Amino acid sequence: MVMPAAVRQQAKIRDEVRALEEELKPDVIRIRWDIGEDWRDEWAIFFRIVLSDDAAQHRLREVAKNVEQLLAERLDFPELGVFAYHNFRSESEQAALQEEAWA
Amino acid sequence: MAYADDLLQDARHLAARGGKKPKQSSLRRAVSTAYYAAFHLLVADFVANYRVAGERPRLGRMFEHRRMSGAAFEVKDRQNPTPIEADIKKMIADFAQLQKERFEADYNVGRSWSPTDVNRTLERAEDVFTVWRRIRKEKLAQHHLMSMFGARHD
Repeated sequence: MVMPAAVRQQAKIRDEVRALEEELKPDVIRIRWDIGEDWRDEWAIFFRIVLSDDAAQHRLREVAKNVEQLLAERLDFPELGVFAYHNFRSESEQAALQEEAWA
Repeated sequence: MAYADDLLQDARHLAARGGKKPKQSSLRRAVSTAYYAAFHLLVADFVANYRVAGERPRLGRMFEHRRMSGAAFEVKDRQNPTPIEADIKKMIADFAQLQKERFEADYNVGRSWSPTDVNRTLERAEDVFTVWRRIRKEKLAQHHLMSMFGARHD
């Protein structure tokens, strides 16, 4: 399978995601991501987004949509050759689950 | 109420079951059901175009999940999509994510689901309903539905 451009451009992705993370505080606590193949064997970028408890409980749709939209604007996924997936959890959910991939 | 709407309502009930301490099994079933709600919404629209009502359930069973999310859709001008193109793109993205979540909910027992992630999945399913019902009569939307069924482009 041909490697997507995203694999070569991880430094750029890292910078863009970090900048967005800062911009979206305090609703967004952190954004983690990795590149891999999805269940269809297509290249994908998987975002794991930790939200503040307030954002997750009271403004999930609004905040999540904004994060997804801004990521798509800053990172041209079709150009990067990946499909973007976004998963969310709240800060207290992550504190309870303690998953390294989300830390 | 249509079957797809019933499924979406079931998904909401499953997600809410257990209050603040939901079981993983309920969350998983909520995610899976939300996907199937969106799936049956699209299938119902596709088969409704078939004249022989008695054959529609058989036609509906011909849908392949993988093909549905893999159907290509090209926007004429990527920088300036039309409102219909933007809606179709959003629906494709939401549907593909729902499919991934359903796959993991059903088969990846190692994944822990949080209520936030499940609620976001339900929102995506709701968005598929809203968007699809807004555009379903548009020629471009019907064309893409045919592609999801497996029809080749011209």
